[in-house]
Amino acid sequence: MAIETPFKNLIPELNYEKETNRWKNVVKALTGPAPKMGHSPRNEVWRKNKSVLWHYPAKQKKYEIPLFFVYSLFNKPYILDVAPKTSVIEGLTNLGYEVYLLDWGTPGYEDKKIGLDTYIDKYLRTAVKRAIRHSGADEITVVGYCLGGTIASIYASIADEPIKNLIVATVPIDFKPAIGPDKWTEGFRNGDINIDSFIDVYGNIPPKMVEGMFRAMQAPVYFTNYTMLLSRAHDQRYVDKWQRMNKWTVDQVPFAGEAYRQLANELFKQNKLVKGELVIGNKKADLKNIKANLYVISGSRDHLILEDQSKPIMDLVSSEDKTYVVVETGHVGLALSGLFGKIVDQWASSRSNPL
Amino acid sequence: MSEKKYDPYESFHKLSLLWEKQINDFIYLWTNNNEFVKMSNFGTEVQTRYLEQLKKNQEAFASVLNLPTKSDVTNVANLTIQAEEKMEALEEQIWDLQDSVKSQSKEIASVVEVSQEIIKLTKQLKQELVKSKKELADTKSLHAELQEMKFELLKLSNFKEELDAIKGLIEKEKTEQPVLSSAGSSK
Repeated sequence: MAIETPFKNLIPELNYEKETNRWKNVVKALTGPAPKMGHSPRNEVWRKNKSVLWHYPAKQKKYEIPLFFVYSLFNKPYILDVAPKTSVIEGLTNLGYEVYLLDWGTPGYEDKKIGLDTYIDKYLRTAVKRAIRHSGADEITVVGYCLGGTIASIYASIADEPIKNLIVATVPIDFKPAIGPDKWTEGFRNGDINIDSFIDVYGNIPPKMVEGMFRAMQAPVYFTNYTMLLSRAHDQRYVDKWQRMNKWTVDQVPFAGEAYRQLANELFKQNKLVKGELVIGNKKADLKNIKANLYVISGSRDHLILEDQSKPIMDLVSSEDKTYVVVETGHVGLALSGLFGKIVDQWASSRSNPL
Repeated sequence: MSEKKYDPYESFHKLSLLWEKQINDFIYLWTNNNEFVKMSNFGTEVQTRYLEQLKKNQEAFASVLNLPTKSDVTNVANLTIQAEEKMEALEEQIWDLQDSVKSQSKEIASVVEVSQEIIKLTKQLKQELVKSKKELADTKSLHAELQEMKFELLKLSNFKEELDAIKGLIEKEKTEQPVLSSAGSSK
């Protein structure tokens, strides 16, 4: 007489090979070495303090005007060169662009006095000048990602250098709409929270605090990334992707104190950029001074930088050629998938003087 | 038709999403109010003052023991950055010089080009001058020859005149001779 097992369908079938791979990959992902990021071949063009200007030569040069990337001060430069085949920079060099990237470096305690004005006037401006000279081009395209887009826009509004195109992606311009707990935002804007003495004591904002700030804005307790890893760890490709994504989200750099103070007080609290009241060096950073061709990219699934924060730039600049697109992606996904490079190429190819 | 099998990991993940959301919502409700914000600010201020005091004490001890602190390191780092900026300024000045030298070189090259043209033209003129001189000399010798010929012609015309005169005289003599012979025969 055959014995029937009740609820047989509900008992999962054990695939020994799959389970071995799953747990091996989980252990490897959590304890193994971090994945290597930043593969594309590059040359150092200029160095100042901790910042470096990198040049990524085109595989076969097809455009006269080079691309100059500015990334967020919160991140590390590899976000634009994450992995082969999905790297934004690699994609663009393969398409024939000469690419330059300003690596902000990791600020130390001695860099606590570096403000946004210093970053823009003494680092970014000089780097752009160097890139123009190095490339031998007459003009340049500046591409800003996230806070790098804000910095690129501020710079473009005071630049004497010949910027032909300005591309900004997931960029916060209007700081009035904000994510995160509304009472905290309100408290900060009312002056119930004062960060000045905190910055004075710490010098720079430690990376763990930067990470904590981002966590607090979205989800203070976050562990579902690990359960997600566990459920899909048998797939090696997913594990690689997970490792890169995880590295991005937890690998922050210290934020220079003075720059953070300006960002918090002048941009977040007083929203000076939109009002045209921001002063960099001795120049007024009014976005209406921007006459370069403008391309703005927003992510429809971006929960960190809302569309409402990026869109106002369209009405604030004086550019005649301006385009705004919304892409079906998230904040990190745009760069992590390499999609950013393809979107940039679609718009920039006709505006970069094809050879 | 393949039936989707039960995956305990996926269920665990779904459950964890639920837990995470509930915990975060609870934290949000707990912290998103003015009182908590003010309390956090107070906590930060207390911590800041404590750290400030600690730093001051540290600086005081370090100064007594003659030990460098992070502030000293900062000062040295700033000197390095200043030096870097000076180097940068110098480099940019060298660029400017290079640019001006390049533009001058271009000007010089264009001047040289023009000069070469002039030299070429001068040479050509010189050659033509030599040719002209030679032609002039030829013309002069031709002139002399012509003069000589003219002189010869003049001489010839004189000779012709003399011949004509002789011829006249001869003819005159011819006409006078028959008269003399008839007179002789009548005698």
